[in-house]
Amino acid sequence: MESTIQSSEQNQLLARFSGFWQSFKKNRSGLIGLGMLVVILVMAIFAPLIAPYASSSTSSAGLSDIYNPPSAAHWFGTDDAGQDVFSNFIFGARVSLTVGFFAAFISIIIGGIFGLVAGFFGGRWENFIMRFTDIMLVIPDLPLMVVIVALTKPSLLNIIFVIGLLGWTTTARVVRSQTLAVKSRKFVLRARAIGAGKGHIVSHHILPLVMPILVVQAVLVVSLAILNESALSFIGLGDPTALSWGQMLNYAFGRGAMSTGAWWALVVPGFGIVWVVLGLTLLGQGLEKVLNPRLETHHLMQGRPSVQSEAGWDVAKKGTLLEVQNLSINYVNEGQPPARAVENVSFTLKEGELIGLVGESGCGKTTLMLSLLRLLPAAGQIVNGRVFFNGKDLVMLGDEELNDIRWKGISIVFQGAMNALNPVRTVGDQIAESITQHLPGFPKENIEARVIELLELVGIAADHKDHFAHQYSGGMRQRAMIAMALACNPQVIIADEPTTALDVMIQAQILELLDGLRKKLGLAIIFVTHDLGVVAEMCDKVLVMYGGVTAEYADVDIIYNNPKHPYTQELLKAFPDLTKPKKKLSSIPGYPPRLEALPAGCRFAPRCPSVFSRCHTEQPILHDLGNEHLASCHLLEASK
Amino acid sequence: MSTDNFLELRGLKKYFDVGRPSLFSRKSRDLHAVDGVTFTLRRSEVIALVGESGCGKSTLALLLMGLEDPTEGTVTYEGRDITHLDDRQRKDLRRKIQMVFQDPYESLNPTQTIEEIVTEPLVVHGFANNADREQRVKKAMEDSGLKPAEVYLHRYPHELSGGQRQRVVIAAALVLEPEIILADEPVSMLDVSIRAEIINLLAELRITRQIAVIFITHDLGSVGFFADRVAVMYLGRIVEIGTMLEVLEKPQHPYTKALISVIPVPNPRLRRERIILQGETPNPIDIPTGCRFHPRCPVALATCKASDPPLVTLSKTHQASCLLLVQ
Repeated sequence: MESTIQSSEQNQLLARFSGFWQSFKKNRSGLIGLGMLVVILVMAIFAPLIAPYASSSTSSAGLSDIYNPPSAAHWFGTDDAGQDVFSNFIFGARVSLTVGFFAAFISIIIGGIFGLVAGFFGGRWENFIMRFTDIMLVIPDLPLMVVIVALTKPSLLNIIFVIGLLGWTTTARVVRSQTLAVKSRKFVLRARAIGAGKGHIVSHHILPLVMPILVVQAVLVVSLAILNESALSFIGLGDPTALSWGQMLNYAFGRGAMSTGAWWALVVPGFGIVWVVLGLTLLGQGLEKVLNPRLETHHLMQGRPSVQSEAGWDVAKKGTLLEVQNLSINYVNEGQPPARAVENVSFTLKEGELIGLVGESGCGKTTLMLSLLRLLPAAGQIVNGRVFFNGKDLVMLGDEELNDIRWKGISIVFQGAMNALNPVRTVGDQIAESITQHLPGFPKENIEARVIELLELVGIAADHKDHFAHQYSGGMRQRAMIAMALACNPQVIIADEPTTALDVMIQAQILELLDGLRKKLGLAIIFVTHDLGVVAEMCDKVLVMYGGVTAEYADVDIIYNNPKHPYTQELLKAFPDLTKPKKKLSSIPGYPPRLEALPAGCRFAPRCPSVFSRCHTEQPILHDLGNEHLASCHLLEASK
Repeated sequence: MSTDNFLELRGLKKYFDVGRPSLFSRKSRDLHAVDGVTFTLRRSEVIALVGESGCGKSTLALLLMGLEDPTEGTVTYEGRDITHLDDRQRKDLRRKIQMVFQDPYESLNPTQTIEEIVTEPLVVHGFANNADREQRVKKAMEDSGLKPAEVYLHRYPHELSGGQRQRVVIAAALVLEPEIILADEPVSMLDVSIRAEIINLLAELRITRQIAVIFITHDLGSVGFFADRVAVMYLGRIVEIGTMLEVLEKPQHPYTKALISVIPVPNPRLRRERIILQGETPNPIDIPTGCRFHPRCPVALATCKASDPPLVTLSKTHQASCLLLVQ
């Protein structure tokens, strides 16, 4: 029993490591750095086997051996004592690396503990430790080391301790800030609620998340320690009995290598220092990319999707503002079959109309919306379909022409208003910016008036113009986002879950605002949400998406009172209805399909209550049920 | 269902010192997060605490969990005063009251496997070496709908969907066999189709395990069939409390009426007149005088500014605090 638990723990460790290695492998600079270090380490460990001469072999040295240029016998010449530079270089690596690693070890332990204590316990401890750290940071390291080493005996051990005891400050600061960040996360609160003590929380929850940062930091501290040791040795404060690279430089420099032109005596140890520091820095960067989650690149990068669709489609119908025809989007990943994120979705939008786009997370709603303005991540490609806006096909437009439509024709209100606002600039400034960016010709003197007009349009008093986002409440931030979207008088607004994180009352206020704007300005709105209640309250038409395809598309009344697709029916049953408080909610078992593992037949088949054999093998087509009511289900075949 | 007063809150208050408003002020100011809350919870009862953000419902949860110390008032559990406990006693009590958090993406440690997460409470409470450890972990997981448990044991949180993660959080709470679960907005981050699943799960647990549930939410709509009683909070106080049907069908406080009117009804034929309150909940540092709801109240009278209405008893189970009811 015990052994199985242990072996499973070992397996987990192994799995974690192999996962780490898989992502580290892709990092070229990290790999190069690791390679550079391995070379030096192997050299240092097997020094007696590699070096052509024993270390400090002065026995054969005579006057004629001093500063000999590189030759067959001495590949990199000889030094001031007639010793082989290459051999000294190899043995010197041992000294330099030993000092580097041990000093860094001390720094990391001290810095790690100080940072953890300061970050986790806070209060007086934090004040004391951080003030102390600040003082240590202000004192320049090298002069202080010089003084201490000069006062104590310059032995290798002393040097290790001095460098180690002075090099912990940055580590303490980095660890403290990471600890603070982890401490405020919800799973730490949950651990406290379970009843976990401080020791348990630190060892099980804080340390595992601080560790990656500490590893990266350790690599950098090692390189710093090696540099410090070299500097100390170079100015003559190294251990005279241990020949490190810095010591080699010191001897060569002090004993006339420059004047005799013996460049090799200086270049070789200097090269060693640069090689190791560069290797460590590259490795540190590589590790950081893999281990530090904050450096992940955001997925919303602009990319021009490749379009591979044939010409010969219907031209847009008259009277419609936006018409999406059979739009399909794939996500392309190297070495994998493309993920069909959106397939054959069509809808139309008239002036002043409000369409609801409904579906669970991961059903392709956001992908579809981003594709309208071609704001998809680079891997997302429009493989088929047309997007007509005022008669122009946005899929085929050049980037510049499309820029003319972004924000001026169609604009977006993103979800998560706090993250979408810049915290260090006033809200008024940011609204002004969205005007100047998209309308370069806008008269400067009118901008302020326009900003105030926009704010009042969304129900924010003009005197809040000069406030920052953090001074706004959640509802006001969302209003500011809407003001920004309105800045260039667009005809269509895409509202991507604009009320999801808000309280019901604020949600109602925002919905009322959007509805009012639509009436006042004749805006057409695409409302993306998973909340069926909101859709019923506001929308004219509804598009229900499931797993990237249209499940059902119809007038709002049909969707709620005569839904034909089992998914729509189940979704409605899962929604709490206040008019029937005693009704038990039913949930849809299972989860939406993953894009990389779509079922062969109908995408809803695995969760469908009315599934039959055909559903598993054949994807249903979109059936036209009349009155612009479309649904994709095999059950509708007969009723047609 | 017995009717004894199982968990009882009396005049519970929590003020946070937010410092002096300016350098020259003498007195530092308090944020009145919870300002005199009284209610009782019966065994295996489900009570919903409803209110907007800033109404004090989350602070109330932290007080009940002993993660914050109340400024005033008492909490009793099975007749025992548990307001102020030392660490040991608090730890013992933790086994009885467990919490489920709002954000299943944030409340699980990404470096732990599901097995480690669900086992952790047992480790913390020193049950980890018992022979039935594995049994308990598996039972908690399967009772939470993670069936079969083996499939999930060695996975990491990021490999699970939001609903599954929330089930893991619930399993980690169940493994200690608690008598009360405090659920703080457990479904607000989840898709609608999955919300029903989690609510149904909690509803099941009160039947199969006789667990009482305190369900904290801003969405009155989601408590429907599930709650026995509903307490509506505004600015640190309960302004209306009653059985679910009393509150949903005959709301008496203007705030409750407004909250109910804005809950979306999933039927376009039933679009109703909504009472949309202007502005947002005032800052709990400067509580309005008199009735604390009067600045936003659509039916406020002149007298509302001056006198703070008490909770008026409307039926054996129904109370609301509004001057219009004081006659």
